[in-house]
Amino acid sequence: MLGLVASLAGLGVSVYLTVVHYSTIALACPANAVVNCEQVLASSFAVIGGSGMPTSAAGIVWFVVSAALAAATWRARGPRLARVQLAWSAIGLVTVVYLVYVEIVLLGAVCIWCSAAHLMVLVIFLVALARLPEDRVAS
Amino acid sequence: MSSKSPRGHPMRRPVSRTPSWVAPVAVVASLALLVAAFLVIRWYTTPVAPPPLNIDAAQLVVSSITSLPASEFDAVGKGSANNLIKAVSGSLLTGSNGRPEVFYFGAEYCPYCAAERWPIIIALSRFGTFSGLKTTSSSSTDIYANTPTFTFHNATYSSQYIDFAAVETTDREQKPLESPTPAQQALVSQYDTSGSIPFVDFGNRYASSGASYLPDVLSGMTWQAVADSLAQPGSAQSKAILGSANLITATVCRLTADQPAAVCSSSSIQAIEKTLG
Repeated sequence: MLGLVASLAGLGVSVYLTVVHYSTIALACPANAVVNCEQVLASSFAVIGGSGMPTSAAGIVWFVVSAALAAATWRARGPRLARVQLAWSAIGLVTVVYLVYVEIVLLGAVCIWCSAAHLMVLVIFLVALARLPEDRVAS
Repeated sequence: MSSKSPRGHPMRRPVSRTPSWVAPVAVVASLALLVAAFLVIRWYTTPVAPPPLNIDAAQLVVSSITSLPASEFDAVGKGSANNLIKAVSGSLLTGSNGRPEVFYFGAEYCPYCAAERWPIIIALSRFGTFSGLKTTSSSSTDIYANTPTFTFHNATYSSQYIDFAAVETTDREQKPLESPTPAQQALVSQYDTSGSIPFVDFGNRYASSGASYLPDVLSGMTWQAVADSLAQPGSAQSKAILGSANLITATVCRLTADQPAAVCSSSSIQAIEKTLG
């Protein structure tokens, strides 16, 4: 249940950031020496491979799949599904680590909306991790 | 009644030796360590802002970068510069002396403005003379922190070919510094639709938003080191800064009807002029 809620929350954040990217809507975000969403989202790292497609669009895809996996594991428990969910969330977590590296080391600024999405990925990973031994014991 | 397996061994649920909370806690702790490591790396790799040069030292650097031989500009050509200059339409923008005006709009904190000032100063010095340029660096807390540069604040420019006006909206701490006139603000609103700085209007004939090269080329360098690097046509700084300066020079040559000929008739400037819209 927690994994599904986190997936939907992350999806909401990703959708918001993607809508802001493609529109003239101002991003609701404070700006100071540490937090600066504009600086992060205006950087070359905010788009996928110079394509113009925002990274948050990839976030939408990832959270949709994550929500589907969370819903599936909620309805039907099983070690294979749990492992798939853990693998998927591990991919997300590795990506998050890279993006946090970009924010802190390369840009020197943190985007709080991005951080919210990153936190959701971590929650999803921890849920998947916590579920795995439970399934292993039951099998 | 005791349960037994077919082989006679008692049935027993396997027991996980490690408590279930250990793995999640280990993950969170590892991530916290990673973030701490990132912060340390950031702290170590952020260049410290060099203290501004005194007036005499700054003037020496300006003299050095504005007295480069024409052969060096020709050798670099467009270099590694990204041409952001677009043709725009509007009535010719003239300055206080009635000449075509180049209007710069930026801020001292802005690293992209810091990068772009180098080629602007070099290019416009081929048409006239700056005085009162002081050294500064971009914000310590922004991307490309402490990029060495100059400020147009309180600097003056004289030329028999063009006029130059500059607005530095804030200092490197992002405190208000200068405000555009209503007419200048109208230019920004009309031509700088992306809202990016630096914005440069070339007489309402051409305009550019953003920097024509990335400021990381100047990372950790002193003003003198940048000036020294410009004496070498093959350096990354020359390719970026002199390439950008050539783009600006060619654009200004369009405004001045290719005057002065000593500057505008060079093969590299003529070649770039042909690529302008």
